[in-house]
Amino acid sequence: MELDLFVRYGPALIRGFGVTILCWAAGSLGGLVLGFVIACLYRWSIAPVRWVIYAYVEVIRGTPFMIQLFILYYGGPYVGLVLSPVQAGILSFIVYGSPYFSEIFRSGFNAVPKGQVEAARCVGMAEATILRRIVLPQMLVPITPPLTNFFIILTKETAILSVVTVPELLYETQTMAAETFTYVEPFLVLSLFYWLMVIGTNWLGGRVEARVTRHLKRA
Amino acid sequence: MADTTPKSNGAGEPIITVRNMGKSFDDFVALRDVTLDVNRSEVLCLIGPSGSGKSTLLRCLNFLEAYDAGEVRLDGELIGWQEGVSPRKARSSGTLRKQRQHIGMVFQQFNLWPHMTALENVAEALIQVKGMGKAAACEKAQAALAKVHLSDKAQSYPANLSGGQQQRVAIARAIAMEPRVMLFDEPTSALDPELVGEVLAVMKEMAAEGMTMVVVTHEMGFAAHVADRVAFLDAGRLVTCAPPADIFAREPDDARVRSFLQTYRERNVV
Repeated sequence: MELDLFVRYGPALIRGFGVTILCWAAGSLGGLVLGFVIACLYRWSIAPVRWVIYAYVEVIRGTPFMIQLFILYYGGPYVGLVLSPVQAGILSFIVYGSPYFSEIFRSGFNAVPKGQVEAARCVGMAEATILRRIVLPQMLVPITPPLTNFFIILTKETAILSVVTVPELLYETQTMAAETFTYVEPFLVLSLFYWLMVIGTNWLGGRVEARVTRHLKRA
Repeated sequence: MADTTPKSNGAGEPIITVRNMGKSFDDFVALRDVTLDVNRSEVLCLIGPSGSGKSTLLRCLNFLEAYDAGEVRLDGELIGWQEGVSPRKARSSGTLRKQRQHIGMVFQQFNLWPHMTALENVAEALIQVKGMGKAAACEKAQAALAKVHLSDKAQSYPANLSGGQQQRVAIARAIAMEPRVMLFDEPTSALDPELVGEVLAVMKEMAAEGMTMVVVTHEMGFAAHVADRVAFLDAGRLVTCAPPADIFAREPDDARVRSFLQTYRERNVV
């Protein structure tokens, strides 16, 4: 192991890790919000809107992330959408994640028994209140594990952003490898960084799950 | 056989009037031409074979099902549909919510909100719908829980309550809103036999206090001893509505009532 290499490239790797976390956090949280909006629209809007949403979900889920990223970054300027690599990375991440998130939310909506909503209607609760106070807290129970899982999957998808020169972790690692002709060590360190993200996310998901299921504990 | 407990004042005149009401699900006619009055402070039990339309009738009373013919009125006000508009147009969601606040409902499956404690279940609508402050709502919720003898379970989540306790919390949730009438959709059908009694006891107390109650039930003992009148439905029609003494007489006039009650007689229920 040539430790001095890491002294030299350490700051760049840390910076890359920062960019990875930024793209991942902003992109997946944006995707989460957009996915929720899509799931709500699908549930409560008229048929033509549902067809559009259906097509969107199918197209995004049916194509590779890398292609979507290329189209957004290199095709964007043709329609006046000029983005920096990081902007393109985050935006494409939001677009890519949203249909998966919306499908998770859709299954969550379906998991809340109809009687729960009827009971709320019977005491005169408004639909928005029912969503906020009755449906959402309950759907968190079944959807927290798949949400955590998808956040974990997305940590590693950030590596693809390197193809449009986003200076994230893989990009910096490749730079280091190319300049120093070392390949094993940099990629071991790279794995370590991703692993840290994954266990962090997993831990956080576990905390959320414990919080949203506390009412199910036997006293 | 009818309960002889004195009822509060104002008893006798109709509070719910159902006129020629009908409801279809696609090609299936669930209810046809139902005309029925529910009097103030009365306990009316709906009985009949499964699929006869009892639950649908009950759910039309608070517009959980939109009836498609005739009228349902509460204190003279048309429920669910706008007055005098043809073709029918549903009332605004705000108006519908106001109407529903006057009609409490208890379900077969309790439908408590599992992520809230018993107290929170009862206080929720007081806060979110009636706009009460948290302290006042909790105080009122405690009083409602006391009425169903569950003061000590206020902090329990539904998962830690027995079926009978859950159903009593559901009753407390409904009565805390001070409804004018209470609807019960087979309130004891999902309960273990030894838990049925505690729920029926609470319902008897409510009846004695003069609450107007419409109860879909298979508990013929309750219908025979607590109801003021019993309505028998078959194939979506109201066959008869009469005091329990007439319905549960040895030889009811109607053959369908006779054959329905036969199965209960064989089990010595009535």
